[in-house]
Amino acid sequence: MRKSNTIILAYAFLAPALILMALFTFYPVIYGSWLGFTDYSQKNLSGEVPANFVGLDNFKTVFADELFRTGIWNSLKYLLVVPMLQFASLGVAVLVNRKLPAITFFRAAYYVPVITSISLASVMWDWVYSKDGVLNWGLKFIVGVLNAVASIFGGKLEFDAFGWLNNPDTAIWAIMLVTFWRGFGYYMVLYLGGLQAIPLELEEAARLDGATPSQTFWRVTVPLMRPTILLCSLLSTLAAIRVLEEIIVFTNGGPLNSTYTSLMYVYSKAFGSKFAFGTASAAGLLIAIVGFFLSYLNFKLTQEPPDRSRKA
Amino acid sequence: MNKKLLIGAGILALTGALGISSLAQTQKTEIEFWSWYLSPKFDPYLKGVIADFEKVNPTITVKLADKQDTMVRDLQAAIALGKTPDVVNLWGDATASFAQDGLLTPVNDLTTNDALRAQFWDNTIGMFNVDGKNYGYPWYGWTDQGVMAYNTELLQKAGIKSPPKTLNEVLSMSKRIKTATGAYGWLPPIKDPNGASFLGQFYLEGLAIVKDGKAAFNSPAHARLLTKFVNLMKADIIPQDLLRKEAFQLNNELYSQGKSAFIIGGAQALTRVKDANKDIYGKTKVVEAPLGSAGVQTGGSMSLVIPKASKNQKEAALFAMFMTNNASQVKFSKLAGIVPTTKGAEKDPDLKAANPNDALDVATSLVSGAGRFITPGWKSPKNTDDIYKNFNDNIEAAFLGKKSAQTALNDAVAFWNANAK
Repeated sequence: MRKSNTIILAYAFLAPALILMALFTFYPVIYGSWLGFTDYSQKNLSGEVPANFVGLDNFKTVFADELFRTGIWNSLKYLLVVPMLQFASLGVAVLVNRKLPAITFFRAAYYVPVITSISLASVMWDWVYSKDGVLNWGLKFIVGVLNAVASIFGGKLEFDAFGWLNNPDTAIWAIMLVTFWRGFGYYMVLYLGGLQAIPLELEEAARLDGATPSQTFWRVTVPLMRPTILLCSLLSTLAAIRVLEEIIVFTNGGPLNSTYTSLMYVYSKAFGSKFAFGTASAAGLLIAIVGFFLSYLNFKLTQEPPDRSRKA
Repeated sequence: MNKKLLIGAGILALTGALGISSLAQTQKTEIEFWSWYLSPKFDPYLKGVIADFEKVNPTITVKLADKQDTMVRDLQAAIALGKTPDVVNLWGDATASFAQDGLLTPVNDLTTNDALRAQFWDNTIGMFNVDGKNYGYPWYGWTDQGVMAYNTELLQKAGIKSPPKTLNEVLSMSKRIKTATGAYGWLPPIKDPNGASFLGQFYLEGLAIVKDGKAAFNSPAHARLLTKFVNLMKADIIPQDLLRKEAFQLNNELYSQGKSAFIIGGAQALTRVKDANKDIYGKTKVVEAPLGSAGVQTGGSMSLVIPKASKNQKEAALFAMFMTNNASQVKFSKLAGIVPTTKGAEKDPDLKAANPNDALDVATSLVSGAGRFITPGWKSPKNTDDIYKNFNDNIEAAFLGKKSAQTALNDAVAFWNANAK
């Protein structure tokens, strides 16, 4: 077959996917970016009134808005869930990657939160975090036990139960734990897939060479898992920076904007009473830039270190 | 020859008749109606009214779609795509927003003022007035106070012999109920997700919200009232969850579990209690709602609007008038305990309590004539979302002890006056 024919055939196979991506990904991205430079809002929907090009005005509005800065700060804070999520899911993936009785049950059980709907999860976690909920009950019990011990030395601990989602100092951490709980099983499955793709001979060879289990894990398993680690950390970073579902369901950005994230800002601008799609798109573009930067960081952090032994 | 002529004439007549009949068929107009959060529970009701309408108007068929959380976004998308529905169920703020952006047809352009006034109470027509034009056919309404349902068992345990008659009594009884039973008394709207619900407390006590076009809710009397509620939350007489959840939702949830004693609101709240917990429903009694010192109440109604881009405006207006007429609303009131916005409902024998021991029946009969009193209390400012968010943030700061009541109100007033443009 001639080379030109091969190229035509290749593009013919790519065409359906490319057309779909062009329609549902590239076009919305380009159009959405364009909106960021216009004053497009609800009044322009019917097409009778055209939107005006406003240059960088929307970006100036967004930068000047304290709520946007609060949103970005809270989203960056939310990123703390990423390393916890990655370490825990990789650790558990290693644990369940063994031939143990009922191991498939555990693998499935860890995955259940992933397929639990957020509305159901919200009811359950509400019970956990409420003033008379499970978490406060557990803490009261622990404080009670500690007080029993402390009373011997004449000390006393105080604990006042409070609603974890109603307190501006704890709300975002409480929601992050829900994100952790919901994402954990998903990343664990991805890591498990990555672990099972590692040829057993490599780990066996390391063991024969006298490597301890810890050395085998850090020197053989982790380097070979690098592509999976990159994928998982990238996905969870982007998910954290774009968190919205949990926030809307649990606190709607409160208390005192302590859980107000950057995407919440975009959402409220686009679908609030003003329907300021232009401002929302500008904010969305800025968040995308932050996302690109964080993705770059992820690539850098998971990059293979230069092989010094070869240079020597 | 004659025979041929006859056959020819016969064929012509037949073709003509077929043509006319097919023309009649093609002339049948289909209109699309979007309801909001009524399916599946009220499907039989909606379909019944539509069938009645189609019987009276055989050239019109109505296609029903129920939209829920995505109503506004779906309507925006439909307008942008040029596939607009003909009749849409919206609410006050959404109607104002679409009308201000020139996307709705004023109802006065399609239905005479006389016809509107003959069907609806003037106050309900006025609720959808934007810049001097009315944009909505008032549909089912509600009162925020309306009736009070109370759990007889909880009141008895707290040693309360008769239900409260004023809001002050409700609050003092709430303290007694909390101490005696651990259950809450009343859950007032503090910071509902949509709107600025604490303004309602000012309105009920006769405290001004706006004076000469400027926000004026920061007098010492306003601050005292806010402080009173802050102290109630500190003492856990009202739950802190009111800062995070809609009062109506939370109250229904707790009342149905026997964890709160009063529901103040429309009769529709009781349908949920009836569905959720028959035992609690059986212990429920209903009386007229206690009011604040101003003796006023607030409420609102849904609207049926006709998008400007609808291609069947005349038929849409006919249907909107039919859907909102007294007979249709009375039927709906019987089912859901809503407040009809129509004249005549207050005298309708169908809305008199058939069973004086049934809470929902009593509640429906108590509110059936309230249509003429429905009022939102105050007009939302322009730039509503930003202003109400700031108001709610300040109220929340006061409740969480981050600001004094006076400072919170001063800050909210300053923001309101600077941004209501």
